[in-house]
Amino acid sequence: MLAILITAFFPLLKTFWDSLFSFGLRPGIVKRFVGLDNYARLLNDTRFMTSLINTLIFTAISVSLEFVLGLATALILNADFALRGVVRAAILIPWAIPTSVSSQMWKWMYNDQYGIISQILYNLGWLAPGTPILSNKWSSMFAILAVDVWKTAPFMALLLLAGLQTIPSELYEASRIDGASKWKQFTKITLPILSPTIAVALIFRTLDALRVFDIFYIMNKSVETLAVYNRHILMDRAFTGAWFGYGSAISVVIFLIISIFAIIYIRSLNLRFE
Amino acid sequence: MKKVLVLSLVLLIAIMGLSVKITMAAGAVGKELEVLMNQIKMFNKIYPDIEVQLLPMPNSSTARHDLYVTYLGAMTSDPDILMIDVIWPAEFAPFVADLTDDYDYFELDQFLPGTVKSGTVQGRIVAIPWFTDAGLLYYRKDLLEKYGYDVPQTWEELKTVASDIASKEKINGMLFQLAQYEGLVCDVAEFVHSYGADFLDANGNVIIGDADNHARLVKALTTLKSFIDDGVAPKGVLTYMEEETRRPFQNGESVFLRNWPYVWSLANDANQSKIAGKIGVAPLPKGDIENGRHSATLGGWMLAINNYSSDAEKDAAKKFVKFLTSYDQQLYKAINAGQNPTRKAVYSDPKIKEAAPFMVELYNVFINAEPRPITPVYTEVSDAIQRHIHDFLIGKKDVEKALKDLESELKMIIGQ
Repeated sequence: MLAILITAFFPLLKTFWDSLFSFGLRPGIVKRFVGLDNYARLLNDTRFMTSLINTLIFTAISVSLEFVLGLATALILNADFALRGVVRAAILIPWAIPTSVSSQMWKWMYNDQYGIISQILYNLGWLAPGTPILSNKWSSMFAILAVDVWKTAPFMALLLLAGLQTIPSELYEASRIDGASKWKQFTKITLPILSPTIAVALIFRTLDALRVFDIFYIMNKSVETLAVYNRHILMDRAFTGAWFGYGSAISVVIFLIISIFAIIYIRSLNLRFE
Repeated sequence: MKKVLVLSLVLLIAIMGLSVKITMAAGAVGKELEVLMNQIKMFNKIYPDIEVQLLPMPNSSTARHDLYVTYLGAMTSDPDILMIDVIWPAEFAPFVADLTDDYDYFELDQFLPGTVKSGTVQGRIVAIPWFTDAGLLYYRKDLLEKYGYDVPQTWEELKTVASDIASKEKINGMLFQLAQYEGLVCDVAEFVHSYGADFLDANGNVIIGDADNHARLVKALTTLKSFIDDGVAPKGVLTYMEEETRRPFQNGESVFLRNWPYVWSLANDANQSKIAGKIGVAPLPKGDIENGRHSATLGGWMLAINNYSSDAEKDAAKKFVKFLTSYDQQLYKAINAGQNPTRKAVYSDPKIKEAAPFMVELYNVFINAEPRPITPVYTEVSDAIQRHIHDFLIGKKDVEKALKDLESELKMIIGQ
């Protein structure tokens, strides 16, 4: 308990406390109490707002796609077939590659001159030849989403698969005898029993997506998420002015957004931690 | 026999007791690290009592900046020697040792004046120039000869030559580094300076709105964009950094390339380059107006000493910095790592002419390379330039809007 207090709550409270001050790491900057000024400034910061919207768009699309694909994969993998173990292990490969490595790998595949994905899109006529995918905000966003879905859908699948395997097969047998269709079995048996697992999986992924940093930072710095913008404030501006309180305020906002999502999930899916 | 053993043991203990251990943050791009390790061995022959430990840093300059922020912000005494980019001295000045009194010790009057200026913050010397960089124009000597062109002297000329050869050879005309990052500021500054314009004046005031300067800025930026719009440079340059332009160039996929001196030895290495021996290097073109000039952005790295180190460590660090920036060691580094010396005299050494002839030929480019603004808020200034000019280049804003937004943001940052 003490360990949790020290490692989790102290930094949290310290960050909140810091966000009420105006200060920097540069010698000569006096630490000044400003109350909630930093938060008021955030509302007028268009760069912050843009990064907030980018993060929310990314989270909404990536988590829903990953959930649908992950659930479909889990259902398929739950069936009996030859080499099931090998396939289960194999789908985890994208997730096992460090994000920084896979981001760089995909960045090369998106390259306008030699990238294989660009080539395919040119050949299909979906993209004018020579157009760089990562030079435009929306095409960058979709390109980055593709990487994230490719990387994390298998992880989602694995989590859901674990949940599926806890469902006793007698339930399905009994319902089959009662004449329930496959769809009915899915909605009346699978989903309700799976819902705690789904909640955990969604919470995991949403929280990760809201904090997304590496994919955006490596693939295209001109599309900023909250974490990328926060890094800019805390690292690039560390010695140039009184930005530390402001950066802490952004951290607190990220924390609050994440908590709101977590509470919504827990409430709506009737999750009980016992 | 026993006496010798005892004596050497005593000597060893004495040396160990007196020895100082210093740490140095070092780069590992290309052969940099290997060369530095050899230099430490040579250093230890003169100073056996100083042990130098290396802390290899990431290749990306931004990642190094983050690490230094962490070290210096935490006020640790390690690393004792920091390898810093030419644009950082003003920002890091409060955290590094004041070397003003050591001007003669480091023989700074022997160095290229521009590089010494980069390490001088409000009259204080805070960093010693280690190696220098300047933007250069690389071209395909064989293709220019084949089609009977001279090396272009102005940007418009370059456009004509590049698009003519490119269409006949079915390759790219010109490659820049215009992704949203520090490199974009370097490339853009060269364009802007070549048209005699600037974003800030020598005192650090924003001059974007000044009538004559504004017109020149617009001309410079629209010319740069026309390279992309007219297809002379592929649209992809808006996502490229240094290495992404070097590779296509050395694969023979472009007529011209703007890049730093490190490209020379790599592009001439027959093992990895398809155009080894077919390359020429020249100063970047001038702006197409009266008083247009050749301009190159000054790059390179300097050595600073951590102010939180102990006096003994600082002394040892100074000795090592002096050693690394000495004539012989700069020559050694230039020949083995291809990094340009900061001492003037090294350029006339016959050995360098043999290993890297362009360094000697383009001495004028290096001595006249223009620094980016020297201000403690440089990272913020650079970030603003990167975002607004990139927005203009990708077509999100027109030039007037981009300059107006940039002007108001820079004024806010500088507090004008």
